[in-house]
Amino acid sequence: MSTEAISAERPKRNYNALFGLTLLALLVLLWIILSVATPSFASANNISNLLRQGSMIAILAVGQTFVIITGGIDLSVGAVVGFATVIVAMLINAGVPIFLAILITLLVGVAIGMFHGFGIVKMGLPPFIITLATLTSLRGIGLLMTNGNSISINNDAFQLFSRSSFLGIPNLFWMVILVGIPAYIFLHHSRWGRYLFSVGSNAEASRLSGVNVQRTIYMAYTLSGLCAAFVGVLLASRIGIGNPTQAEGWELQAIASSVIGGTSLFGAVGSVHGPLLGAFILATINNGANLLNVNAFWQRIITGVLIIVIVYFDGLRRRGK
Amino acid sequence: MTSTAQELHPAPTLEPGRTILELKGLEKRYPGTHALKPTNLAFKASEIHAIVGENGAGKSTLIKLLTGVMPRTSGDVIWEGTPAALATPHEAMALGINAVHQEVVLCRHLTVAANMFLGEEASRFGILQQRAMVREAQKIIDDLGFDLPAHVVLGDLTIGQQQLIAAARATVRGTKFLIFDEPTAYLTRKEADQLFTLIRRLKGEGVTIIYISHRMEEVFELADRVSVLRDGTLVGTRNIAETNDAELVKMMINRSIEQVYHKEHFTPGATLLEARNLSGKGFENVSMTVRAGEIVGLYGLIGAGRSEFVTALYGRHRKSAGQILWEGKAVQVNSEHDAIRLGMALAPESRRDQGLCLNLPVGLNLNLPIYKRISSNLLISSAQEKTEADRQIANLRIKTPTRKALASSLSGGNQQKIVIGKWLAHGAKLFIFDEPTVGVDVGTKAEIYRLFSALLSNGAGIILISSYLPEVYELADTLHVFRRGKLVATHGFHTADHEEILTQALAEKQEKPGGQI
Repeated sequence: MSTEAISAERPKRNYNALFGLTLLALLVLLWIILSVATPSFASANNISNLLRQGSMIAILAVGQTFVIITGGIDLSVGAVVGFATVIVAMLINAGVPIFLAILITLLVGVAIGMFHGFGIVKMGLPPFIITLATLTSLRGIGLLMTNGNSISINNDAFQLFSRSSFLGIPNLFWMVILVGIPAYIFLHHSRWGRYLFSVGSNAEASRLSGVNVQRTIYMAYTLSGLCAAFVGVLLASRIGIGNPTQAEGWELQAIASSVIGGTSLFGAVGSVHGPLLGAFILATINNGANLLNVNAFWQRIITGVLIIVIVYFDGLRRRGK
Repeated sequence: MTSTAQELHPAPTLEPGRTILELKGLEKRYPGTHALKPTNLAFKASEIHAIVGENGAGKSTLIKLLTGVMPRTSGDVIWEGTPAALATPHEAMALGINAVHQEVVLCRHLTVAANMFLGEEASRFGILQQRAMVREAQKIIDDLGFDLPAHVVLGDLTIGQQQLIAAARATVRGTKFLIFDEPTAYLTRKEADQLFTLIRRLKGEGVTIIYISHRMEEVFELADRVSVLRDGTLVGTRNIAETNDAELVKMMINRSIEQVYHKEHFTPGATLLEARNLSGKGFENVSMTVRAGEIVGLYGLIGAGRSEFVTALYGRHRKSAGQILWEGKAVQVNSEHDAIRLGMALAPESRRDQGLCLNLPVGLNLNLPIYKRISSNLLISSAQEKTEADRQIANLRIKTPTRKALASSLSGGNQQKIVIGKWLAHGAKLFIFDEPTVGVDVGTKAEIYRLFSALLSNGAGIILISSYLPEVYELADTLHVFRRGKLVATHGFHTADHEEILTQALAEKQEKPGGQI
C-alpha cells in the first residue's frame, strides 16, 4: 500500500501559479533588457502604448482560452472584432446612445458565439470548420454592409475613452483587469469553470456525471464571442472607424497568446493569467523589435520561434522532467 | 522489402523444456518505490507461463522490462544463453520477444491487413503491394481459424475482434516469446476460446507464452506453470497441476478466497425502480424491478444488451417503448440529468472512455457530480471541495498522494474507486455498476464488494452488470440472464448452478422448450 502511494506521480502543486511566475519573470526580463538596450522603451509614453497594444489581444486570448479548454478552437475572433467595429460605428453614427450601441454590439458577439455552439452541438460540425466559416463570411457581411468603405465615427467622447488614462494607466489596460478578474473567478472558482475542464478532458464521462455538456460548449463559444465583440468596441474607439477588414490575423495572435500562456490545444489545461501574460509578452516583442529597428518581417519569425520554444519547455515540465 | 511470407511460421529452434529466457536478479526501482525486487525466474521453451498478482504487484513492470520499454535498474536477462540488454522495444522484437496488450494499440483507421503488416509492409519499387498484403493477411487469419475479413477497417471490428487481430499480428513476426497482458478483459467467451486455440497452437509451434490474467479459471485452463507476484516480489512458481485457486489467491493477497466475495443479505425494502417492457437500441421488451437493499445482477455476454439496457434506463440513449416507474410513480427519463435527479448513479463500463477525466485531478473527478451542491450561487466553496474529496479518498482508501494528483497517475483499481466514489457523496438511491471489477485486482475487488454491502445497508439498491459469472453469482440476490438483447431467464440467489446460467446466456444449442420465463 505505502509503496504504491509513493510511486504515484507527485502532484504538481500550484503548477499553474508556478508557470505563471516563470512567464512573469520572462516578461520582466524582456522589459529590463529592452530598457537597457533602448532609451525610449522605459518612457511613460511607450509603456502606455505597449499596454494599449497588448490589451486587446489579451482580452481575445481569455475568451479563446475558454474555448480551447473545452478542446475546441475559435478561429472567428478576428473577424468578430472587425465586424463589431462596423456595428458599433453604424449604431453610434445613427444616433444611438453610446451605452446602448455598445450593449447591442456585445449582444451581436453573444449571438455569433451561440451560433457556433449551435453548429457544434446541434449540427455536429467540428469547431475548426464552423468558426472558419464564420471567419470568412463575417468579413463578407461587414464588407457588404459598408460597401467596402471605412465608417468614421462621429463621436469624440467615444474615441476619447481609449486614449485616456485613469490613475496613470491607460483605460484599455483597465479593461483587461475588468475582464480578467471575473474571468479568473469564473474559470477557477465556479462550477462552470470546472465543467469547461471536465468537458475538455472527457465529454462522455462528464455527461454521465450529470454535467450539461451542450450548455457548457454553448457557454464557452458565447464567452469567446462576447470577448471578441468587446475588443471590437475598444478597437473602434481606438482607431475611430468601423472597418470589417480590421483585426486581420488577430485570432492567431490570440491562440498564440493562449498557448504561450500554458493552454493545451488538447483541452483541459489552461488558466486566465497565462494567456494575459502571453499576450503582453507578444506585445513586448513587437514593441521592442520596432524600437530596435528590427525588420518587421523578422518580428513574425521571432514570434514563431518563441511559440515553439515556450510550448516545448512547458511540455517538458508537464511530463515532469 | 522481401515478401513477408517466409516470416509467417518461424521454424521452432528449441526443443521443449529448455530454458529460453532467464531472469537473474532482475530489479527495477523508480524514485521512491521498489517496483520489482531482485527476481530470479526461468521460462522454458514452449511453455504457457501464467503470471498473477494484484495491480501494482509488478507485473506491468516486468513486461516493460522484457519488451524493452523501460531500462532495468540492475540484474540480467539471459536470452538463449546470452545476456540481452533489451534497451529498446526494437531490440526485444528483433530477438523475438513480443507483447499483446490489454488495450489494443493498433491504428483503428487502417485496414486489418495494413495493421498486420504495419512497419514491414510488402512493397515493390516503393509501391505498396496492397492486394498482396490483404491476401496474405486473410490467409493468416483463416489459417488461425478466426472468421474475420482482412480488408475492413480495424475500427469497424469489436474490441474483442481487434484483440484477436493484435494477437495474430504478434504471431507473424517471428515471435519466440509472446506476452499476453490480460487479453480476455474485453472478449466474449467465443472470442476467448478462439484466442486460447491460437495460444495453444503457438505453444505447439514452440513459442513461449507469458499469460497475465486476473481470471483464475483461465490460468487453470491454459497455463503449464504459474508465478505469483506480490508487492514487487516473486512469491513463488507452481506447476498448474500441483496447485489450486485457494492457494494462488492466498499467495497473491495473503487472504482466503471466501473473504473476497463479501455478501450480506438484507431484507429487501420498497421497490425503487420498475422497468416495464422497455425496448431500445440493442435490447427489447425488458422488465425488471429493483428493491432497496438488494443486488440485481445482469449476466450475459458482451453485446447481449445489458449495458444498452442500463444506459437507456439512465437516459443516455433513447428508449423506443416501455415505461419506467420510480418509487411507484411513472417517470420520464430522457437525459442523464433526469436520472441523476431521481437518484440514479451509473458507474459505466469503460473507465477510460466513460468514467474518468484522466488528465484532471482526482479531487475534481470525485466532486464532478456534486459541484452544484458545494457551490453557493456561482462560487465553489473550496473548503467543501477539499473535505468532500479527502473524505472519499480516505473512506475508499484511494491510493493517491493528494487529491490534486491526476487521475491518470493512479492504478486501475484506484481509478475504479474514483468512478464509484464520485457517486457516494451525491446521495443516490439506485447504483448501477457496469463491470465494476474489470482489470481490478483481488484486493480492490473485495473492497468494492464490501462497499456494495455498505450501500445496501443504507437502503440503496444496486444493479450489477458482469460478464464474470462467479461475481454476479455470488453477489446478486436476483440474477437476470441476457442473450441477444432479451432477458431470457431470472434466478434467485444460488437457485441455479453455473452450468444452467451459462447455457442460458450462450444458448448455442437449440433452446430447450419450457425454459424459464
